[in-house]
Amino acid sequence: MLQTKFFSTDSEVTPANLGDAIQQAIEIEIATIPVYLYTYYSINRVPDQDAISGSLAQELVKHGRTVKEANKIALDLSAEIMVYANKAGALIMSVAIEEMLHMALSSNLKQALAGLPELIGKSPSVWPACLPGHEPEFPINRDKLSLDQLITFLKIESPDPLPDKQLQAAPIPYKTIGLFYQMILDCIETNDLPYNTHSPQLLPGNAYYAQNNIDTVYYDKEHNPHFTNAPDSGDLLYVKDRDSAIHAIHCVVEQGEGFPGAPGFNPDGSVDCGKIIPPDFDDFDKKELSHFEKFAQIYCHYKTLNDRFNKLGIGKIEISDYFVVNVPKNPSTAGYPAHIRPVSDFLNGIYTYIFVMVENCYKKSGNTQYELFMFGIHKSMIFILNSVCGDIMKLKYTSHEDGKEYFAAPTFEDYPFGLISSPKSQLIELYTAAVNVYPTISYLGQRVQDLPDVAL
Amino acid sequence: MANINYNPNLSLCGGTPPAPAPAEGASAAPVTVTPSVELHVCMGLNACKGHDRNGTNNCAGTGYCATATQHNCQTLNDCHGQGGCGLYGDAEQQMLPGANECGWQGSCAVPIQAERYSTLGENTGKSVWLLARKLFEERMMRAKRAVGEPPFKCGPPENWLTSVLGSYDSCGNSGDKRCSFGFNNPDDHAKELCEGKKE
Repeated sequence: MLQTKFFSTDSEVTPANLGDAIQQAIEIEIATIPVYLYTYYSINRVPDQDAISGSLAQELVKHGRTVKEANKIALDLSAEIMVYANKAGALIMSVAIEEMLHMALSSNLKQALAGLPELIGKSPSVWPACLPGHEPEFPINRDKLSLDQLITFLKIESPDPLPDKQLQAAPIPYKTIGLFYQMILDCIETNDLPYNTHSPQLLPGNAYYAQNNIDTVYYDKEHNPHFTNAPDSGDLLYVKDRDSAIHAIHCVVEQGEGFPGAPGFNPDGSVDCGKIIPPDFDDFDKKELSHFEKFAQIYCHYKTLNDRFNKLGIGKIEISDYFVVNVPKNPSTAGYPAHIRPVSDFLNGIYTYIFVMVENCYKKSGNTQYELFMFGIHKSMIFILNSVCGDIMKLKYTSHEDGKEYFAAPTFEDYPFGLISSPKSQLIELYTAAVNVYPTISYLGQRVQDLPDVAL
Repeated sequence: MANINYNPNLSLCGGTPPAPAPAEGASAAPVTVTPSVELHVCMGLNACKGHDRNGTNNCAGTGYCATATQHNCQTLNDCHGQGGCGLYGDAEQQMLPGANECGWQGSCAVPIQAERYSTLGENTGKSVWLLARKLFEERMMRAKRAVGEPPFKCGPPENWLTSVLGSYDSCGNSGDKRCSFGFNNPDDHAKELCEGKKE
């Protein structure tokens, strides 16, 4: 496992190491993004209900139900699976976009208090990875949706410290992300720090951040939409003084872990599937659950579905097989065969270029920053990256490691842009190589050309 | 069809600049000029006679389809007023279907299917097309223009768009707006959305 060490001996945040601590916070947020996105893309949010229903009806008939009974139960169960798949996707995406918000809020903090945030090349490079500085360490994988993967998500967002099995000496150690931010907050509250209000930040009111989009929505059985994020749960924020810095930190912590009093795992380490209580929400209107509680909902809903299957005598069915794509655990571009590798390189080029552009937004202000964000970052993230993530998952290959067949998946590795030419020109070369092996993505060519040209 | 082709070089600084105009007096090849039409994003949003995709509508607000370039996601619109909205974008953007300020500032697909609803802002859960039509009618009122009825009261249904355009897609992974889980009636949803109710 790779863990970036930021400090040699420090175990608290002081004005002297505040910049490093905030950078550590930024890298904690970045580390979560490929993990959540990988699992998100493993979910088929709109599986084939007829196929699910037909398969379930057959199983139910085998277990003694009449055809009429079986069809009725299968219709209901298949609808529930449809809802579950879509809901799991919406909730994970709703968390992923807030992690991007947290990365921006932490970057605003650093810009105000310690200088330019560093974002390029900060995604985990070795998998399993772990959260920088977290104690105890626990492995984080890019993996498809499963109960185990959800336990990892819950550990990441846990409001309570995890049981210490084997503590390692880690600089600025922390037990939960919230407690780590609390150390930064304590430093900010107890010291009279200067705030840089001249350098660019990502500010609210520019359409940079939207709490909900169609990907954070799911439908219930009657096809009524449910919005998983609330408009009042948080937004970008201009960090210009102590109060705004504190406000930014509270937003990050409350979205992740809820308000004080929100429970974490049960004392025996199991997931609390009990009633939702007010601190489980992260907004004052109690419309949006914290990240921890969102993941608990996905976990517990799956358990409930499983119990239903057991009672019907069909518990041996792995429900996730109906809507989770068979993607490998922790794949790398280098491990893909020749017909996939260039597509993965292109995908990683776009992924990395988004960080290049975000970092550049902290060097540019006004309309230049706006154009960079709206035409570069939004186009890359919402259209190009999302599209190529979907396209690469149509490609199959046989793993040379275990000899099994998998669908390819986005690896979200930092692409090592060289210094000889601009990242954009390298991106165009990556696109050209990718489209040569996979003409399906030719519709993206013009959109890659449209991106702004940003230097490293 | 009277679409104007999109040119990335005109939309953002950088890249190859457009070719310069010929010098005065220089001989230039004769150019065929296509009569221009106003570019708008959907059925029932045309300001003038003959300004729909087919060029056959008779008056304002009665056109069958967009003259702006068809596209399926945020940041893909060519110019001012040519972006849809509703599925992406912040609360302010989602109040401006067909009324964005500039190229690449639209937040969703064009044309706007009847089933689309807003995901943020005051119009959350309500029809995007009805909002676009309201903005259009307000503009026509300011321009003192009479407005006719659109071919479909609440905008073009997705099935109809697919049938006339060959294919139709708007962004997002959360499922077809008309799909059924076996317990809902998509037509009831469409009717409620059409009546201005929230989804």
